Amino acid sequence: MASKVPRNTNKEIRDNEARLVALYEEYYDKIARYVYIHIGDKSESEDIASEVFLKALKSIKTYRDTGLPMQAWLYKIAHNLVVDHLRKVSRIKTVPIETVEIIDNQDPFNDVNRKLEMEKVGAAMIQLTEEQQEVLRLRFFGGLTSKEAADILNKSDGAVREMQRAALEKLRQLLNVNRQ
Amino acid sequence: MTNEFDMILDKCIDRLSRGESLDKCLADYPEHKAQLEPLLKAMTETATAYSFVPSAEAKRSARIKLYAEFERRRQPSFWQRMIQPRVVWVSAAAVVLLVAVSLFALRPALWPAIPTTTIPSASTDGNFIFMVSDDVNAIEDFSTVDVTIEKVWLLHTGDQEQWVEFTPTTQEFNLASLPGDATQVLWQGNVPLGEYTRVVIEVSQVTGVLKATGETIEIKLPSDKLQVKIPFNVGADSVTSFTFDLTVVNTGNAQDGAKYLLKPQAGESGSSQTPITNEQTTPDKDKGQGEPRKQP
Repeated sequence: MASKVPRNTNKEIRDNEARLVALYEEYYDKIARYVYIHIGDKSESEDIASEVFLKALKSIKTYRDTGLPMQAWLYKIAHNLVVDHLRKVSRIKTVPIETVEIIDNQDPFNDVNRKLEMEKVGAAMIQLTEEQQEVLRLRFFGGLTSKEAADILNKSDGAVREMQRAALEKLRQLLNVNRQ
Repeated sequence: MTNEFDMILDKCIDRLSRGESLDKCLADYPEHKAQLEPLLKAMTETATAYSFVPSAEAKRSARIKLYAEFERRRQPSFWQRMIQPRVVWVSAAAVVLLVAVSLFALRPALWPAIPTTTIPSASTDGNFIFMVSDDVNAIEDFSTVDVTIEKVWLLHTGDQEQWVEFTPTTQEFNLASLPGDATQVLWQGNVPLGEYTRVVIEVSQVTGVLKATGETIEIKLPSDKLQVKIPFNVGADSVTSFTFDLTVVNTGNAQDGAKYLLKPQAGESGSSQTPITNEQTTPDKDKGQGEPRKQP
């Protein structure tokens, strides 16, 4: 027998709006980083992170239907906005190293090293499966727990931890990080 | 074993993400150090390569936008305000009050637009007799139905309409004692000659005693003023008798029980003329034996 999900009450909607605003301070930076690893443009990443929260606030009535923790729901929105953005600019889903801005532009030596490091890591990342890449993005850059990542990816916690280990094993080989 | 290692690796990744050192984490799991260390180094190398801290200005700007939208959503829209239950009830109450004021408070104020002539006294040889009677409905449920009438108005037509007002000589009567064609005279006096189109009575109280239980109950009124629109003529050479027919109806149902209402019965009300002769007598006011009614 089909069950009908009751509609959100006004109080529930208002409570969720307040929760969302409360998450802003903790998650804005993480979401901006998560976006950055996808699109490689700092300014665009900041704008998209801002848009994630606005879009979430405007769609708050639909939040409960997702069944996700709110922070996981924010990353879903972020992912969708990234996909839209990449579709618009017709970029591939890896960081375009040449266009990456370098934070410490006072030190040309560091800039070069940083670019080389990013190039190396970027090249290694694209050797992973799409799911492995997404697990690492959510865990390392998005700052989500494996449980939260599992919610977004519709996987079990165990499956996410397994993918995480496999991804790191592969990265270790590709980045030539030796065992002690 | 793999599952256990995955859990340990996961915990260490969380600890490094929170800013703990690699050495501290490895120290907690010496038996897994050899396997953990290269994986955690790969993790830190990857995370460091793409480390990025959004600018304070961008974060502040995003915060302002978010809070502005949050505040905007806290303000109810015009339609939300309109459909709030409290507003609906207040609006409904205001409408009811307005209607009530229009119907009851303003009506007397509107009437002066039609001038009123008050007949100061009754006269046993007057040209107009006002009577009441009852029509069979729920009246049989009662042993007595005591009705009090305060005023009577007749609408006189002609070049200019005017209300003709008088106070019944008999203001209280038992409607249950006037079955069928039996009538009771409440007033006789002289009113202006001519055509009339409407009769209004002001009823102040109606109580009935139920035959079945002996209980005295209040009988409701649709309004304190009951009217019938029936044309009649008051001529110089006759006495006009007008019978205002009232009836009690049961508006209740099986679930809620009986509810009684006093209503005018236009179909049974009407006038008749009796030529004035030397033997003219007035009906017996106390025994309810007036003129027979002429159907309008």
